[in-house]
Amino acid sequence: MAGVRPERVAEVQEAVRLHPRLRPRGGGTKPALSTPREGEVALDLSGLRGILAYEPEEFVFTAYAGTPLQEVEEALKAHGQYLPFHPPLAGRGATLGGTVAAGLSGPLRARYGGVRDFLLGVRFVDGEGRLVRGGGQVVKNAAGFPFHRLMVGALGAFGVMVELSFKVFPRPQATRTLRVEMESLEAALEALERLRLLPLDLLALDLVPPGRLEIRLGGFPESLRSRLERLQALLGREGEVLEEDEAHWEAVRDLAFLEESPIWAKVPAGLALIPRLEGLPLGPRRYLDGGEVLYAGLDGEGLEALRREGLPYLVLKGAEDPLFPPPPAPFFHRLKEALDPRSRFPLG
Amino acid sequence: MQHRIPVETLGKEGEVMAHAIEACVHCGFCLPTCPTYVVLQEEMDSPRGRIFLMKEVLEGNLPLEEALPYLDRCLACQACVTACPSGVPYGELIAAFRLHTEEKRHRYPLERAFRLALLRTLPHPERFRPLAALGVGLKPLLKPLPLPKALRAPLELLPERLPKEAPYPEVYPAKGERKARVGLLLGCAQRVLRPSINEATLRVLQENGVEVVLLREQACCGALNLHAGDKEGARALARQNLKAFREVEYVVTNAAGCGSGMKEYPLLFLGEPEEEEARRLAAKVKDLTVILEALGFTPPPPPPRPLRVAYHDACHLAHAQGVREAPRRLLKAAGVEVLEPKEWELCCGSAGTYNLFQPEIAAALGQRKAANLKATGAELVVTGNIGCLTQIQAHLDLPVLHTAELLALLYAGKDPLLETLA
Amino acid sequence: MGFLEELRALFPPGRLLTKEAELAPYESDALTAYRKRPLAVVLPQRKEEVVEAVRLCHRHGVPFVARGSGTSLSGGSLPVEGGLVIALNRMNRILRLDPKARIAVVEPGVVNLEVSRAAAPYGLYYAPDPSSQPISTIGGNVAFNSGGAHCLKYGMTANHVLGLEVVTPEGEVVRLGGEGLEGVGPDLHGFFVGTEGLLGVALEVTLRLLPKPEAYHTLLAAYGSLEAAGETVSRILRQGLLPGAIEIMDRLAIEAAEAAVKAGYPRAEALLIVELEGPREEVAEEARVLEALIRESGAQEVRVARDEAERQAIWKGRKAAFSAVGRLSPDYIVQDGVVPRSRLAEALREIGRLSQAYGLRVANVFHAGDGNLHPLVLYDGKKPGELERAEALAGEILRLCIQLGGSLTGEHGIGVEKKAYMPEMFAKEDLEAMERVKRALDPKGLANRGKVLPEVAHGRG
Ligand SMILES: Cc1cc2nc3c(=O)[nH]c(=O)nc-3n(C[C@H](O)[C@H](O)[C@H](O)COP(=O)(O)OP(=O)(O)OC[C@H]3O[C@@H](n4cnc5c(N)ncnc54)[C@H](O)[C@@H]3O)c2cc1C
Ligand code: SF4
Ligand code: SF4
Repeated sequence: MAGVRPERVAEVQEAVRLHPRLRPRGGGTKPALSTPREGEVALDLSGLRGILAYEPEEFVFTAYAGTPLQEVEEALKAHGQYLPFHPPLAGRGATLGGTVAAGLSGPLRARYGGVRDFLLGVRFVDGEGRLVRGGGQVVKNAAGFPFHRLMVGALGAFGVMVELSFKVFPRPQATRTLRVEMESLEAALEALERLRLLPLDLLALDLVPPGRLEIRLGGFPESLRSRLERLQALLGREGEVLEEDEAHWEAVRDLAFLEESPIWAKVPAGLALIPRLEGLPLGPRRYLDGGEVLYAGLDGEGLEALRREGLPYLVLKGAEDPLFPPPPAPFFHRLKEALDPRSRFPLG
Repeated sequence: MQHRIPVETLGKEGEVMAHAIEACVHCGFCLPTCPTYVVLQEEMDSPRGRIFLMKEVLEGNLPLEEALPYLDRCLACQACVTACPSGVPYGELIAAFRLHTEEKRHRYPLERAFRLALLRTLPHPERFRPLAALGVGLKPLLKPLPLPKALRAPLELLPERLPKEAPYPEVYPAKGERKARVGLLLGCAQRVLRPSINEATLRVLQENGVEVVLLREQACCGALNLHAGDKEGARALARQNLKAFREVEYVVTNAAGCGSGMKEYPLLFLGEPEEEEARRLAAKVKDLTVILEALGFTPPPPPPRPLRVAYHDACHLAHAQGVREAPRRLLKAAGVEVLEPKEWELCCGSAGTYNLFQPEIAAALGQRKAANLKATGAELVVTGNIGCLTQIQAHLDLPVLHTAELLALLYAGKDPLLETLA
Repeated sequence: MGFLEELRALFPPGRLLTKEAELAPYESDALTAYRKRPLAVVLPQRKEEVVEAVRLCHRHGVPFVARGSGTSLSGGSLPVEGGLVIALNRMNRILRLDPKARIAVVEPGVVNLEVSRAAAPYGLYYAPDPSSQPISTIGGNVAFNSGGAHCLKYGMTANHVLGLEVVTPEGEVVRLGGEGLEGVGPDLHGFFVGTEGLLGVALEVTLRLLPKPEAYHTLLAAYGSLEAAGETVSRILRQGLLPGAIEIMDRLAIEAAEAAVKAGYPRAEALLIVELEGPREEVAEEARVLEALIRESGAQEVRVARDEAERQAIWKGRKAAFSAVGRLSPDYIVQDGVVPRSRLAEALREIGRLSQAYGLRVANVFHAGDGNLHPLVLYDGKKPGELERAEALAGEILRLCIQLGGSLTGEHGIGVEKKAYMPEMFAKEDLEAMERVKRALDPKGLANRGKVLPEVAHGRG
């Protein structure tokens, strides 16, 4: 069925009132989430783009949900700021709204947290076409129900986000990356466990199984060298140091390593779970943030294996049924009833 | 906090109470240090809750009898005073409230008799000694019997045998150059149960160039009576002390509760002719450790072998008198390693006669304190109060000494661990 | 059977409170201007008992209020007249602390600071540090999304809660979130945090722990005016520094804190506290930048904590400040509106003007780095009309925050105290959406009835 492409908030409201089933789409970088299913109308939000307010001194900005991440990041960069949650797929055209709906964060989440930790406020159109605001535009706010946090990872279930406010941080002045190869998965996990308990303020701490660790440091150029040396001493190896590491991490967060795989999935992990995950038939993959989350390329068999093991996942590309398990029944359904009583949106 | 207490009708004590209640902003900062709250985790048994209850009673909204169970459980340890950022003088509040309400409260005849017996004997060594001796003698016989709680607790705290108190000469001259001349409050129960504390105190003072006079006319400090709401009993004892100590420069106390008790004389005589004199005396009262520091401490020879000591803060030293650092510094100067237990601010459950009336809470606190002290890895525990000492000893398998006792052993060149084993 | 009889069957005598003297102390939280007498208080010891109590309330249509330590400053734990108070203080066990996963699973009655204490042996800590940290409970922190001085970098409670077990007002038990930093599906636990107990009672909370910073650099700078201190904050942020905390206290607050804990603060119109934290090399570099900046900021006096004891003294004074203000005045109202950080100086000037106009003293002590103000409006409730004047002044301050593009509350919540101002911050549609969510999860309106949502939005009897 043909889609709609609103360019104003009122048009989103209209579209919602008009169509019984809708599938919002931002940049289309996560087709498993944005491809309309049978009977759904595509709601293309790429027309609702642009930064609405950005005062660098406040370290907050508000933009339309359809704004490409790249556009935001360029504006921030001009003032020495960045999105610390490091949203994936920015280079491929992902938008703010899509990132929030999918609940995705990249390798740099290790330093300050993920997308849920930086979102301050939202305006969304609920299932009845009403425009609702949650949260605010200041860095701290505890007034009213935090609808903005409800949007994170909800795949658009509760409404169509039209405007989002975030806080941002100053960019590290310089960065370095240390890459070390451990002899085995066990050795790598043991090292991860140690590093996670130390106050090293790492920007990124990735595991590429079986044994590679990629560790990114950021801060004052003057202090980086000695911090790097300490890290090498801790690990008992020199490793390989990337002085120019930006391009590498850009490729990582654009999930370039998944290119060849038919299915792309995000899998919540954690140190204790990694050995089990490593026993499954998964393709190219990388664990971010000290092993907390896995981005994996896989095929049908791999997906089936995850499901069989009861391991939660979110498919970004290559499957019909992207979310496992479904959200916890009573609580989720009550909320859905309240905000999208006619089940116009996904996860009905 | 707002209140509608008819202050005019309550006299001076009313002002003290109203001021304390007003200063409370209900923030709850005092809760985690309150021993009864820590054990019971309920608002009525917290300082904040008790302040509220007293307010309700004083305003006439709540019958006194209903509030009493919770107010009676207060140990008057004053940990809440240390914790309170708003400066609520809780110690004064509860003391004044108890004085104010004692006559109004109903007590069962048996309870009344027991209390009266206590208040009539404990403060008077010549009466308490024979009774304690009797208890010690009967202890082996009574122990297996299913006694009521109120009897079992005191029995367990009695020592296995009652030491002898040698007669005291009137003056203990200073060793070397005399730095000061002080009076020593001998105390009441302490004299009977553990005379070694006074003996040690005298020795330590002498070693530090202090001359001590033991004034015959002195009495028990009266704190027990004061906190039990027995105003007249307390005043009678206090008057005796006002007189006895009039001439000395300082009054040294070696039991935390007695020190803080004497510092409360001004409250006891609020609006009375003695108020001014009570203030003067209160200002002269110093804990042993404070006076030693103030006059310049001459440390004993270091212990024959390294000694790890956990210091327990007696509430009536730490909270009521604000004395925490002096004893620690003395111990360190004496060459022992001082270890700090967790939850220093928490009462051990002794608090005067508390373990007689609230044995369960007292036992819970005693065990908790003992465990915290044990966890420091100390070989010996030191504290500045006989009540704490007895209570902790009942729950702990390490020797527990008074600060003075440890110092005296060191002056004597003895190994404290060997001595306490004996 | 009646409600109370059934309750008696669930709770033994010592844990079901119904007598006057037992109920009175539960009548209010730290906002004592509001008082309500509940029908009963229960002291559950296990989560099953909470669930049973909630189900009973649901069956009988009795409203209930969960209560932690009652330190809410907005009337959040104010009982409902004739309702049940579920006091969770005895549910204070840390159920599991897993250093490898860097998490702690706790009961809701666990006191905030206890989590950090338990985590300390592993070099970990629980980051959100409300000043009430030694006494406020994780359950209360969750309900209010509490913050503290050190929330600039790592956020508030919501950013540190990974999972929750909750009993809904209808008595259903649900698990929201999990144990890891990332999950899939809607962030329902994130949504629950900050809903002030209107959507249920938290039974178990999974918290994230962080490695304790290696080094701190804590600096105290005295200024001749509040604005000068506020201006320095803007400069610090503009410079690209990201301290762990940036706090300001004004003269009244300094006086009170000094009287309370003898922190050794310099006497000044305003004090700025800045704390850098992180790896020692990084902190050293940041400290150089900060020092240069402060030198040019017109500070009258600058001190840097030389050791942990001095650092603790600085913080002790700051954290005692609220209660300490009790020394200056028998009563006060604390507001905690937020303004954009670049409008701080303007907001402070306006608050000063309002204070003059109303003839009431206002003490200021606040999280300057977040733009989170904490004006304390001092008044004497014994003087006729003063409470009303104080409330009016507090209201004007709230409006000011909204006008400047901020929020009604940064961390203390709406409670009963600020709900009348909700329509000034939120549109009708926003409030109705909240109302619909509330109704969907709590059709009988039992959980914390009368809090957060203003009557106008209720639109029902
Ligand atoms: C002196 C002082 C300083 C303070 N400083 C700060 C500060 O720096 N930052 C800050 O954010 N706050 C601060 N506060 C406010 C207060 O401490 C916080 O709001 C705190 O989170 C309340 O915790 P509590 O345990 O006392 O909860 P309570 O006051 O007992 O309850 C608060 C709310 O939580 C609900 N609740 C409690 N437990 C649960 C549960 N298990 N499930 C669902 N709902 C529940 C209650 O119903 C109520 O609505 C301060 C308060 C005081 C008195
Ligand atoms: S700390 Fe002080 S002001 Fe706060 S509740 Fe306790 S007594 Fe009241
Ligand atoms: S004096 Fe001790 S027992 Fe009594 S309320 Fe204060 S802290 Fe609690």
